[in-house]
Amino acid sequence: MNHFALTIIGRDHPGIVAQVTKILFDLGCNIADSSCSILGGQFAMILIISHPQFDSLESFSDAFKPLENDGLSVFLRTLQPGGEATPHLQGELCLISVYGSDKPGIVYPVVRELGERQINITDLNTKLVGSPDRPVYVMMIEAILPSDIPLEQLAEVMAQLKTKLQVDISVRNITPVEL
Amino acid sequence: MAVREILCYPDPLLKMVCEPIAELNQACDTLIQDLLDTMIASGHSVGVAAPQIGVSRRVVVVDVSNSKLGRDNNHGQLVMINPEILEQSGQKIMREGCMSVPDYTGNVARAEEVLVQFLDRNGDQQVIRASGFEAVAIQHELDHLDGLLFLDRVSSLKTDVFRRKKH
Repeated sequence: MNHFALTIIGRDHPGIVAQVTKILFDLGCNIADSSCSILGGQFAMILIISHPQFDSLESFSDAFKPLENDGLSVFLRTLQPGGEATPHLQGELCLISVYGSDKPGIVYPVVRELGERQINITDLNTKLVGSPDRPVYVMMIEAILPSDIPLEQLAEVMAQLKTKLQVDISVRNITPVEL
Repeated sequence: MAVREILCYPDPLLKMVCEPIAELNQACDTLIQDLLDTMIASGHSVGVAAPQIGVSRRVVVVDVSNSKLGRDNNHGQLVMINPEILEQSGQKIMREGCMSVPDYTGNVARAEEVLVQFLDRNGDQQVIRASGFEAVAIQHELDHLDGLLFLDRVSSLKTDVFRRKKH
């Protein structure tokens, strides 16, 4: 079955999910994986969809046109075969909390350290909170540690960044417990 | 003595409320041994409930003594027949997974401490106070006896700090 990545974003209001999924339902699409959330005042949808017959973007014709007309941005992309399969990532799952007074240049210095060490980010959220005169930046990163990098080592790297960036950072293990 | 296959959702047995054990007979003892064998054979497992091996009876086994999170605070290998939680307090959030729901995990808020009453393998009445990971494991297994999966208890998607209500 061919898989596609569908991204939709637009000003949030009730009914977006229903509108989008009605189109997918009428087309006969499957929703395999999806993640949808409010970011700022926008509602953002990311979906991996599939269809038993559709093999190219043309198959969808102008099915998403009504969404565009309603002010939503729609982006559709064909996945290479196998691109829909979740990789089996081995290793300890950790959560890195980064927060501090808002200033430019918080995200990149932190994630650069992860990228350089082949630490795979599986989830990342950032949010601007606090009051307008005292804005606070919060970033939460979920990442999988390769077996040769213990949590303590990552915590050490983050502790150095903490001083350099003048933000608070904590690292903890959140590997799921199998019960 | 047998290692049994762990049933996975959507097996209907996992959503049923289990029947209490009326009498401790040979069948019950075999069930207990199968639960223990299955728990031990599955290596990483810290507990198995009877419905997970296809028996709709109120029996679970729990043993967190070999796991990193539970080894300093546990009651060893527990066999719990007709268990009931008498008291609970505190709150602890852990990301749980379950052998019966492969490939999915979620944050679940459970009581940090529980007082549990049950019959042990000899049929003797026991009451224990468990806390921490052992308490979480007990609550997870006991949920199976009421047809509840951790999916019914997920408290938040991903990181929940952003989703807190504003006061």
